[in-house]
Amino acid sequence: MQSGLIQQLGNLGLPQQDIIIATFYLVAGLTVFFALRVVISKNIFHSAIFLAMTLIGIACVYLYLNAEFLAVAQVLIYVGAIVTLFIFVIMLTANIQDRAIRQTNEQVFISAVSAAVFLFILIKVIKNNHWQLAANKGTQNLGIAQLGRSLMTTYVLPFEIISLILIAVLVGAIVIAKSDKNDTT
Amino acid sequence: MIPLESFLILGAILFSIGVFGALTRRNAIGILISIELILNAANINFIAFNQFLGSPDCLGQIFTLLVITIAAASAVIGLVLVIALYRNTKNIFAEKINLMKW
Repeated sequence: MQSGLIQQLGNLGLPQQDIIIATFYLVAGLTVFFALRVVISKNIFHSAIFLAMTLIGIACVYLYLNAEFLAVAQVLIYVGAIVTLFIFVIMLTANIQDRAIRQTNEQVFISAVSAAVFLFILIKVIKNNHWQLAANKGTQNLGIAQLGRSLMTTYVLPFEIISLILIAVLVGAIVIAKSDKNDTT
Repeated sequence: MIPLESFLILGAILFSIGVFGALTRRNAIGILISIELILNAANINFIAFNQFLGSPDCLGQIFTLLVITIAAASAVIGLVLVIALYRNTKNIFAEKINLMKW
């Protein structure tokens, strides 16, 4: 009853399901394309913009996995906060987005070969492994209510530790970024 | 509907792209951006396994939330270090940063 948005659409019928599957592969292809542009873009500012698009694509993929809360959190935290932070730092560090400056080091070829070999091995393993899928997949999707309940009961300790890490990062970022000249305290 | 392998292969492709970027970028900010890609690829795998292998209390989604938070923290610390480096040495290219190397 509490199945996800995409799954509810999928229950409509066969042609709608085909459309959903087609849009998934479209979104996945666009995400991979944007991720490639993130890596090979000459201008580091374009790279950050394409990172935002990649993250939105990944949020759409989360919707296909019935994780609506995480899709929204992804857009809020990553696209809203982290990419903005990246863009601020790119603007603060001057004369790096010049096209004349080389953005890649001399190990492009060996890195591409090793990444491709690694990807080939991963796909081989994924294809050959026999995944033991859950038999009652429909009942596993309990939605945001179950997520919040187990975050506040079973997994409350990691939740609290995360808040401690966040306060430490807050203080540490201010301490490191503060200029130590003309500052006597 | 969509098989588990599709999500896993998408995660693997994004991971490889991120590794390639982290290995080849000269710019320290570019390396941080690639690391964000790698963490997102891992998140896709977490949620896919949570959905398909069945977790009674949404463990995969909770772990993904924690990973998103840690990724935000690591990005903040990395960018602050980049700003501190830029203030002291006026460049942020990874091969020029050898202050602590002997």
